[in-house]
Amino acid sequence: MRRFRGWYWLALAVALIVVSMIAVATGAVRVSLGAVANALRGRGDPTAIAIVRDLRLPRVVLGALVGAGLGASGAALQGALRNPLAEPYLLGVSGGAAVGAVIAFALGAASDAVITLAAFVGGIGAVFIALAVARVGGRSARTDMRTLLIAGVIVGAFANAAIMVALANASPNNIRGALWWMMGSAVDATWTRAAWLGLSLLMAGGALVYFAREIDVLSLGEDAAASLGVDVERAGRRAFLISALIASATVAAAGLIGFVGLVVPHIARAMGLRAHRPLILASALVAATLVVAADLAARTVDAPTELPLGAITALLGVPFFLIQLRRVT
Amino acid sequence: MFLYPRRGIAFALIALVLLACGESRRQVNAARDDFGNPIHLGPPPKRIVSLSPATTEILFTIGAGSRLVGRSRYDLWPDSARLVPDLGDGMRPNVEAVLGARPDLVLLYASQDNRNAADRFRAAGINTLALKMDQIAHFRRVTALLGALLHDSARAQIVIDSVQHTLDSVRRATAAVPRPTVFWHIWDSPLITIGSGSFMNELVEIAGARNIYADIHGASGQIALEDVARRDPDFVLAGPEGTRQIRSDPRWRIVRAARDGKIIVVDTGMVARPSVRLGEAAVSLAKALHPGLFK
Repeated sequence: MRRFRGWYWLALAVALIVVSMIAVATGAVRVSLGAVANALRGRGDPTAIAIVRDLRLPRVVLGALVGAGLGASGAALQGALRNPLAEPYLLGVSGGAAVGAVIAFALGAASDAVITLAAFVGGIGAVFIALAVARVGGRSARTDMRTLLIAGVIVGAFANAAIMVALANASPNNIRGALWWMMGSAVDATWTRAAWLGLSLLMAGGALVYFAREIDVLSLGEDAAASLGVDVERAGRRAFLISALIASATVAAAGLIGFVGLVVPHIARAMGLRAHRPLILASALVAATLVVAADLAARTVDAPTELPLGAITALLGVPFFLIQLRRVT
Repeated sequence: MFLYPRRGIAFALIALVLLACGESRRQVNAARDDFGNPIHLGPPPKRIVSLSPATTEILFTIGAGSRLVGRSRYDLWPDSARLVPDLGDGMRPNVEAVLGARPDLVLLYASQDNRNAADRFRAAGINTLALKMDQIAHFRRVTALLGALLHDSARAQIVIDSVQHTLDSVRRATAAVPRPTVFWHIWDSPLITIGSGSFMNELVEIAGARNIYADIHGASGQIALEDVARRDPDFVLAGPEGTRQIRSDPRWRIVRAARDGKIIVVDTGMVARPSVRLGEAAVSLAKALHPGLFK
């Protein structure tokens, strides 16, 4: 196995910075590099300043934060549940968040804050339902991690069905908004949104990194973990809950962006990482770069029309994933 | 003064007109757009982005086409509109592309989808109006408003009056004839038709017919094909694409009008827009529904 060296961190950080800089400098409207640099400092043409500082910059920051959240929660979930397919989307978190947002849409909520809050509540709600189902479904009073995985999938399927029913009766006006949201998009990025997501990531992500040791032990298997003196049930539930919090916050900020949480931890592991603390951090960095790049493609490939960000992440992620898979096997 | 009585009358008239203009401008100034934001009348806008076909058509007709610096992808009438830069979708428009056109006025359709974009244009200091365009009354209101904004209310009034005149004459011509029932096919899968909240419902009534789904209160609604068959319209109205779908889909045979070939093909670019061609649209519908009336 190749070792993950110190300069890899540097390379990952540089990649994120370079992609972000390109993303700030490119868009539907041509703004020269000099004008972009001036606009960043608040000088020059007011239109360029509005485009760079109020549209592109918050969008790039939000994209990076969404990616970081998805990557970190994916890495933690795959470790804690010991399942390489675990990711926020599979576990019903996103489905629950989508139900929350779509209900808000269908009720005609116009305010951004209300929809975001509804998505967040929906995501957390789905997690608690999955935890409850896992506890009932397991033979004993303890939460079985395997049952939790299945419970999450089932809750997600139920959420999807609920969305379809809600949308079938919604007016065409509301459907477009809801669909746009379900395909994922950073188009409505604002500094306030980015700040909220950044704050929740800082707290929940910090907690994930703090509990990373526990996830290391969990990933050895439940019996091994128990013999090492870890309360398997509590540790697993904790990792699940924190990851779900992060995923709900990202869904609330930018809608459903699939695949990132699934693929990126595999890429990070293929770079030689095993311990969860660096794995979570590297996944966050790689996923941030991937989402910023995908969003750049979403708004420039077919400009002025915007493509759905969720589809672009998958289109970019799959080939990258396959290359890594080939190199590992 | 009495030496030139005519001049006195002329002065009085001009004064009256000026007063009236001032009055209407004050009214507009106190008004709000359909997102509830106040409308400001400053100097006439020089660079306009219009993101809905109806407002683009009105602007060209009242002589402000040359002020347009951007339009939506679907604004294709009149032909000269095609020369205006295409800024993409009119719903959830690309904010950056619109800002890049450096407009001093942005016109949007007042849909929830456009709220975010409208807020952003406003934040960038651009006069932004979100306008509902669902009924013939909305056409009149928006045309008058655009006239006031462009300081050319007289021209806007001529456009409103001529459209109204045509609509009135069609209404008079069809007043005494028997009124057939129609089904207006807007979209296939899901099947969508117009309700009484739509200007197309108004057009159907002016053209001397009855919409079988006038009991839908909104602008449009989703319905089931078997319910169309049960309501048994005399005619089906559809665009060229819709007509092809109806003719090729065997399920439509349960609807008597479709089975008997009583399908009226409408020019969707004309009749589906609450704009300056409303009169023309009413005439073409009336001619198709009552061929004997117009020779």
